[in-house]
Amino acid sequence: MLLAGANGSGKTTLLRLIAGLLRPSAGSLRVFGLDPVAEPLAVRRRLSVVGHQPFLYGELSARETLALWNRLLERPWPAATIPELLEAVGLEDAASREVRTFSAGMRKRLSLARVRLERPRLLLLDEPFAALDQDGQDLVDRWISEFRDDGGAVVMASHDLSRASGHGARAVLLRSGQAVWTGAARDLGERLRMPN
Amino acid sequence: MRALRQTVEILRKDLLLEWRRRARLVAVLVFAVNVLLLFSFALGADTGTLAKATGGLLMLTLLFSSILALGESFRAEHEHAALEGLLLLPMHPVGIFYGKAVANTLFLLLLAPLLVPAALVLYGGALPAGQLLQLLALWAAIAAGLAGPGTLYAAMTGRLRSHDVLLPLLLFPLVIPVLVAGVRSMSLVLTGDPMAQLGGWVGLLVAFDVIYWSLCGVLFPYVVEEP
Repeated sequence: MLLAGANGSGKTTLLRLIAGLLRPSAGSLRVFGLDPVAEPLAVRRRLSVVGHQPFLYGELSARETLALWNRLLERPWPAATIPELLEAVGLEDAASREVRTFSAGMRKRLSLARVRLERPRLLLLDEPFAALDQDGQDLVDRWISEFRDDGGAVVMASHDLSRASGHGARAVLLRSGQAVWTGAARDLGERLRMPN
Repeated sequence: MRALRQTVEILRKDLLLEWRRRARLVAVLVFAVNVLLLFSFALGADTGTLAKATGGLLMLTLLFSSILALGESFRAEHEHAALEGLLLLPMHPVGIFYGKAVANTLFLLLLAPLLVPAALVLYGGALPAGQLLQLLALWAAIAAGLAGPGTLYAAMTGRLRSHDVLLPLLLFPLVIPVLVAGVRSMSLVLTGDPMAQLGGWVGLLVAFDVIYWSLCGVLFPYVVEEP
């Protein structure tokens, strides 16, 4: 599903609500039939988030960061997975560098690697193409396609509609926190050209 | 078992980060020695007075230094929303609290080998033979009493613009029992305990440690949750 809307329309807020990082001020929310506020661990076990922030420690290297995340998982991968993942996101040459020396695109790549570690069933993506070069954007495209082919669900907020609409069967247009239109993702561009 | 493993991982991560930012430890140490020096100037040259007050002055120095150390402990967590990243993992936030609280306790414990000899030299006191281990154990209990609630309040105020002001305002009143028990027991270790009062004060200190660490562990998930 693709979330569209102007800045401040509520896309990131909705993603944070789904992830259980925000408590709804009214109404209720169910993710996999679970309340993300009441059962955060059960929900987070099933989802992965790539957001505006990369969730990194500046003084840890890329390798140390992935190793830390891996060890904190309920079912950690074998240690040999870490170099493979770094290679998959194109950071093998920067594996030992502290993350504070990384560009925004490199940080985004590292946070993408976390998705592979977490084995989610739901992927929450907030502007996943932002800060990435062409290779990086193609990588995200490929990973999302593979993830969906494996039966995963994606909820993505993006302003890059030409890329994002290729990944969403459905789209929701948000305005001031309200869903003002729901339809097929391929029709979103046309809807956005229409007057209010 | 998994929660313990995750706590150890957070502790390991914090110790590694502290090592990478060791200039911070040096800065806290220099600050602490400066505070000890200032106390000696404030109280004058009477070595009798200084020696009697050594326990209290050491406690105050540790308290002031702990504000610097604790206030910084959540900076890395908020810099790139790393704490949010941890919360998104399927781990209970309690593991984050205890990992960070133990790391903060160890950080405060590291001040002892420099501050105790410095205080004894500056204030003219002496550590009775065989009391070194007792003093270190006491220092650890005091450090834990400051680090438990300090970690909770550092998490609470870390994202606020005025966190430098809020942290001591919130922490100081809460740790008064630790301060009182710490001053009394430290003085008894340094100057002798003819009335065998040490056990009672240490018992009080440990009791508050247990209460603080239990309560703060329960409260931490609510503190790191978004409003």
